[in-house]
Amino acid sequence: MKYRHLLLVIAMGAIGAGCTSIENSRNLANPNVPAKALAQQVCSLCHGINGQSVSPNFPNLAAQQPTYFTAQMKEFRGHNRLDPAGFEYMWGLSRSLTDEQIRGLAEYFATKAPAAIPNTSSDPAAVAGGAVIFEKGVPGKNIPSCSTCHGAQAQGNEQFPRLANQHSDYLVKQLMVFQRTDERPEGSIMKTIAHDLTRKNMEDVAAYLQDYPAR
Amino acid sequence: MRIAEQSGLTTPCTTKRAVTMTSFLKSIQRRFFGSAPLILGLLGIMPMLVPTPAHALPSFARQTGQNCVACHAGGQYPELTPYGRMFKMTGYTIGERTVPLSVMGVVNSASIASAPSDTQKNGQPVLATGSVFLAGKITDNIGAFAQLTYDNYAVDNGDGTFTGHTNADNMDFRFANHIVDEKRDWVYGVSFNNNPSISDPWNSAAAWMQYVPAASLGSHQFADANTPYPGFGSGGNIAGLSAYLFWNQTLYAEMGSYGSADKAFSFMSSGIADKTILSGANPYWRLALSREWGPHNLMVGTSGMTAKVYDSGSDTSDPGNLGQFRNNGIDAQYQYILDPHTVTAQFAYMQQQQTYSDNTGGEPGLTDTNNVARAKVSYIYQAKYGGSLAYFNQTGTTNVQSDPATNGLTYEAFWIPVQNIRLGAQYTTYNKYQGVSSNYDGAGRNASDNNTLFLYAWFAY
Repeated sequence: MKYRHLLLVIAMGAIGAGCTSIENSRNLANPNVPAKALAQQVCSLCHGINGQSVSPNFPNLAAQQPTYFTAQMKEFRGHNRLDPAGFEYMWGLSRSLTDEQIRGLAEYFATKAPAAIPNTSSDPAAVAGGAVIFEKGVPGKNIPSCSTCHGAQAQGNEQFPRLANQHSDYLVKQLMVFQRTDERPEGSIMKTIAHDLTRKNMEDVAAYLQDYPAR
Repeated sequence: MRIAEQSGLTTPCTTKRAVTMTSFLKSIQRRFFGSAPLILGLLGIMPMLVPTPAHALPSFARQTGQNCVACHAGGQYPELTPYGRMFKMTGYTIGERTVPLSVMGVVNSASIASAPSDTQKNGQPVLATGSVFLAGKITDNIGAFAQLTYDNYAVDNGDGTFTGHTNADNMDFRFANHIVDEKRDWVYGVSFNNNPSISDPWNSAAAWMQYVPAASLGSHQFADANTPYPGFGSGGNIAGLSAYLFWNQTLYAEMGSYGSADKAFSFMSSGIADKTILSGANPYWRLALSREWGPHNLMVGTSGMTAKVYDSGSDTSDPGNLGQFRNNGIDAQYQYILDPHTVTAQFAYMQQQQTYSDNTGGEPGLTDTNNVARAKVSYIYQAKYGGSLAYFNQTGTTNVQSDPATNGLTYEAFWIPVQNIRLGAQYTTYNKYQGVSSNYDGAGRNASDNNTLFLYAWFAY
């Protein structure tokens, strides 16, 4: 029995050595690991193999703007993005990634097709209200429309992220970060814009964007 | 998590007399504030003890650079999140290789409601255990989780003093691979370990449901750690190899075989005074169905093992000393994780049929069956403030053994001031113990006299 175990352990080592492939590597400190491997072996565990995350704790990355994605990864790597969702999960994972790997990850997720997330519990009137905020802003408070920067279809525009089909919970939490903290200095423009948004405004526009027709 | 405590045959107990909430609160008040100096002292020194930032299991966290909450639900180690389970199933290999060392210590205090006069250190704070972990990535496909534990009260010298002792604790060395693309998602691997189900990624598995370590003291005998927990009759400190597959994030299957941890594998039972000696190869299996949707995830599973075990300390050349445990269990775990809320519900049931050795039973083929059920719900807010309620119930036949019927509840509240420290209080109440509610020892002692308040401070770096 013991010798059989020993043989199996040796076999395990041999298999391990034989099966080690950089295409399946989870090594975040090896600059030679392709971005696709990192996306599949590490990122997909939270963000989904297609950039569509199951848990709203993690943002959808499908069809995200590569410029925005790259900038955020560098913010994580440089410890400049200070919101808890950032430093708890992303500081460490990004710490040794090369610029080339980050660029490759941006391309990987940018090519993935987004999908609408049905609002199972949102009030249709709230979603309609969110559409108004997205398209026209809140004129009485001098809040501009989201579409001005994020695109008419919420698809994003280079440094401005795609918002369509993002988890509403994630959108609300990030709007709260912008409004109440200085934890995302790269998004300081949003601090001004979100300043007078009510919690209801945020929830409405987030509900509208989560279930936005995927395109 | 001490493997010696994980046999399904833990001390029996329970009662029909329900302990009222009023008496519970009074008891908490009396004992908690009686131990206030301990708690205040711990709170005072903790910030000095703790370098920041730090994580649990810290060597894994240093490897990924992530906080505890990435892998542990609500920061409540050892319970794993869906990502934490994948980290484990992929062989602890995500991240970058770092110094794979961590340490853990537990200071605690147990107060029995009506402690016998000779109870050791009742209500006194003690340094219960300390562990060193060798844990982390070795290659891109091989990783390890190996724990050595120092038991500060391992040997009672009989004169009020104790001698500490170090032994091998949970060990899991594994190879894993992950084949994943848009069409398939297979995680598969091999685990070489010393405790059946220590390789399991869910925390309703036998090796993981019990988590707060207690001390080897008489005053801790009724603490939650020593209430009935579903477990395998073989216990730990054995050596086995299992192969597993997690298919499309849905079906988990594991098959293994265990033998004695001796000769080349004696390091896996090193320091254990009364090592488990198995006969031949002893099969272990596990099947689980898992689903994740939104912030929810659910697992329903089953597991089992058949183990031929020689009577403790007996002559292994005599087949009359060989008995057998046959375990079959079901378990389930539900988690809701959406910052700032974490909710977990666990259920586990284990049936254990023991066939006694001929020399123990006096005649061939005598058996007893024990059934242990356990359910627990917990809630954590902001990965800082948490509470749980657990129910335990053990029943069994009385062909050879005395009535093992035991049941009760454990209430728990805890605080995680920084992510590598947990301060908690558990209050365990017994409704039945050794088959009855009252006078279980024939000298007037009731099950509720065993009710125990257990305070703990648990830290890791």
